[in-house]
Amino acid sequence: MVETLTEKKHGKEAAFGEMYVWREGMDWNPVERVILERRSVRKYRDEQVPEKLVRRILEAGRFAPSAGNAQPWRFVVVRDRDMLDEMEKYVRWRCQILKFMLDWESSPLGRLSWVLSQIYIRLMPNKLHPIPFGAIRLIADGKLKLFHGAPTVIFILEDVRGVSKPQVDIGICGQNMVLAAHSLGLGTCWVGFVELLKFGSKWKKKLGATWPYRFIEAIALGYPVGEPDGMVARELHEIDWWEGGRKRSVF
Amino acid sequence: MAYLTLKERMTIPTYNDPKTCRAGRVVIEHEKCNGCGNCALVCPGACLYVAGVGRDRKAYMVDKAVPDCMSCNACAAICKRGAIRAEQGYDFGGFYKALHRAEMVPPRNF
Ligand SMILES: Cc1cc2nc3c(=O)[nH]c(=O)nc-3n(C[C@H](O)[C@H](O)[C@H](O)COP(=O)(O)O)c2cc1C
Ligand code: SF4
Ligand code: SF4
Repeated sequence: MVETLTEKKHGKEAAFGEMYVWREGMDWNPVERVILERRSVRKYRDEQVPEKLVRRILEAGRFAPSAGNAQPWRFVVVRDRDMLDEMEKYVRWRCQILKFMLDWESSPLGRLSWVLSQIYIRLMPNKLHPIPFGAIRLIADGKLKLFHGAPTVIFILEDVRGVSKPQVDIGICGQNMVLAAHSLGLGTCWVGFVELLKFGSKWKKKLGATWPYRFIEAIALGYPVGEPDGMVARELHEIDWWEGGRKRSVF
Repeated sequence: MAYLTLKERMTIPTYNDPKTCRAGRVVIEHEKCNGCGNCALVCPGACLYVAGVGRDRKAYMVDKAVPDCMSCNACAAICKRGAIRAEQGYDFGGFYKALHRAEMVPPRNF
């Protein structure tokens, strides 16, 4: 049943916390609140997350929808500081190689690095989009961390034999865990750069990222420093809306 | 209607050239900022820093033609004083031209 603005004015709006109803202009319910307030957390306290809490978050991943119910993921939980530091060092080294080859502003290769960058950007326009290109430089220089000091990292390996588009399933599964984690008082950050671990046969073996599995994403998990979550402004997107035989734009 | 011309589609922008690339950029209200540095601590683009002493300690954006700001507003979310925010998304132009975007606004509870 849809109630009206008049009822809202008469003080009948849903109290905060009410679920499974919608009244125009009502306050956010707890699910919406977690979705809208979640921010990527890039500074963690040096305090391990209880094992049971991580197990609970993994349950949220296990129940994610997937094409054909293929569940094309494998979770690898890493909670050893030394191992995480070593992976971080490895990825930084790979970024330094990429920076040496492609960053025409700093590379000793000079003009050659400009030519290489233009070729590689065209070959890999997503991976070398200006934002990750900048992030590669920052990681190489130690200005952007990989795991941000998180005490627990959940790797989501992709089973490449999944149904249809397994990487979509990985994304959904991961976001289930991310939202569960934030609702339970933790902070998270997606870490796409773990993909660079695929160049290290040692890491592929150790984490089981060998066929049919491969590195796709990881989620850093821990107690945040300060209060990084909160609602912020984001771009409106122009949405095409077809109805009554006509198209209009909504934002 | 937003679209890419064939020329734009063929053009890879020069990432450090402000003539073609518009990175994110933040607005910092120095009257509100107390220089706590939390924004700089969490910025994924390493594009914020604090400088100055005592009451003059304030956050600033690095002086780069194209800073590594992705308009994520992690700085705005962690700032207790509402002193900082990104007000415009990035647009690198050419092949990466932003399409079908408008101004940045907080969540709206329809
Ligand atoms: C698939 C994926 C990979 C990401 N990889 C990284 C990463 O490697 N490092 C990082 O600091 N943030 C990473 N992020 C976080 C994004 O930068 C962040 O989600 C975006 O800036 C929006 O900010 P918000 O998460 O606070 O809303 C990733 C996000 C996604 C969805
Ligand atoms: S978090 Fe806010 S108050 Fe602190 S330095 Fe940044 S802008 Fe200033
Ligand atoms: S919007 Fe994001 S990238 Fe830009 S200054 Fe703020 S925290 Fe840094």
